This record gives sequence, structure tokens and C-alpha cells, in this order.
Amino acid sequence: MAASCNSNLPRRIIKETQRLLSEPAPGISASPSEENLRYFNVMILGPNQSPYEGGLFKLELFLPEDYPMAPPKVRFLTKIYHPNIDKLGRICLDILKDKWSPALQIRTVLLSIQALLSAPNPDDPLAENIAKHWKTNETEAVATAREWTRMYASGV
Amino acid sequence: MSNSAVVVPRNFRLLEELERGEKGFGDGNVSYGMDDGEDVFMRSWTGTVIGPSNTVHDGRIYTVKLYCDKDYPDKPPAVRFESRINMACVNQESGVVEPRSFPMLANWRRDFTMENILTELRREMQTGQNRKLPQPPEGSTFTC
Repeated sequence: MAASCNSNLPRRIIKETQRLLSEPAPGISASPSEENLRYFNVMILGPNQSPYEGGLFKLELFLPEDYPMAPPKVRFLTKIYHPNIDKLGRICLDILKDKWSPALQIRTVLLSIQALLSAPNPDDPLAENIAKHWKTNETEAVATAREWTRMYASGV
Repeated sequence: MSNSAVVVPRNFRLLEELERGEKGFGDGNVSYGMDDGEDVFMRSWTGTVIGPSNTVHDGRIYTVKLYCDKDYPDKPPAVRFESRINMACVNQESGVVEPRSFPMLANWRRDFTMENILTELRREMQTGQNRKLPQPPEGSTFTC
């Protein structure tokens, strides 16, 4: 099964996967699932100096049939308090939508998500309540984000 | 399964179904939504089916529970009527839609969706015997 999937996997995806495994980006790991080579288990370390520092966040990523003409689909599986990530882990990030370009890769997407953790953007919210919290009392919102990181992302 | 087919993993498939359910589709005679907006595994769903006209079900609104386990959509969801209904494929004790008398569940295919199930249940209400079977009072529920 894995072999037959593999033989039909576009060369671009094979290349990207090999590079992700051989030269992982710092603080990011992505490995394809055995049953489905378009489906990746992803881990992202919370960036230093962010409210997510010390957290280990699990995500899932899927390359749809029309990748790389269409962007990968990505979401958080670990609960996270962030204005651009909703309760189901869906991410509001322009390059996952209208700003996608086939010149981008899985690696660039994951780096952008890591950067989003360092720079939450409450002006383009997905989680309205969290964004409001961020704008009205950033200190308190950041404290909640730290608390959630400790509760849900402490590297189990 | 064709070996060139791209398999959409469970969670992304359910996210697609969620978005379709939120946007609405078709003529509005069937609809569905997720029960717990914080359940990252999207297991529990509630569907509604509006009874077709020219049947005993005309105008009734039926509530149907669908449970998508870890092996969905390789395996069908568990489907159960919450509203009481007298129909051949529905267990009259529990409201469970019995796969052996509802071919869509028995001969499940991975590309079938919750929308397909609800649409098929509505079609079932219009078939020969089901359209005329005496029905319990409107609004009563299976208790289990």
C-alpha cells in the first residue's frame, strides 16, 4: 500500500518530504504518516520570548490533490490560546488562503505558523473573543496564553 | 481502491463537511451541525430532516444523531433518530438506523458523507410502505 502510494506521489512532494526529514527547520518536525504520504504529523516548539515558549504543539497537515497549485491544509491539534487560531485549531494565515503561491513549500508554511506564534495578529482575528482580549488587555491575554501552554502543550 | 486516489484524512474530511454544513446546501430539507464546537476530533453531530410532503412525515422535523468515530469515513458513522419515527430501517426501541435494513450504511463507501445519509433517510421516508406507516405523536423522542 505504502509503496503504491509512493509511486504515485508527485516528485515535488517526495523531494519536499526528503528535505523536511534530512534538514528539519529549527523547532519544527514534520513526518508523513505511513498509510498516507500526503498526511503529515507536525510538531512545533513554542518560540522563545513568546507566550508559547516551552510548549510543544501538535499539528496535522494534508497536501490536497491539487497541491502545489492549492495550499496545504493545516491545523493545530493541541489547544492554544491565540487570536488567529480557533477552537478547532484552524489557522487564519494569508498564505494558507489567497496569498498562497506554488513557490511556497511545506517548510515555509510551517515557518510562517511558527512566526505567527511569535507575532499574534489580533487585527485579523479568527477567534473573536481571544482577539478582543488581546486588544483590551494584552498582559492578561498573554498570561492566559502562557497558562494554556502549561496546561495543554507541556510536551506529553 | 484505485492506487492513484488521494485519500483525504478523517479530520480534514470532517472539516470539509463542517464547512459545508455551516454554509448550507441544497433545498434545506436536510442539514447538520457539530454538537461540541471545541471537540477537536469532531465526533458528535446532529442532523435534521424535514419530512417530505405527500407522506405521513409531511412537515415533521426529525432530529438525527450521527457519531463519527476514529475510523470514519472508512467506516460509516453510527446513526440514530432522536425523534420518534416509525420506519422500517429504524429500531423501534432505540431509534438506531439498522445498517442491515439501510443499504447506504451496510454498503458504505468512503466518499459517502453525512449529507448523503440524511438525504437517503429522507428518500426512505417516501418509499412504498414508509410513506404510509402510522406515526407516533409529533415531537416525541426515543428514550435511551
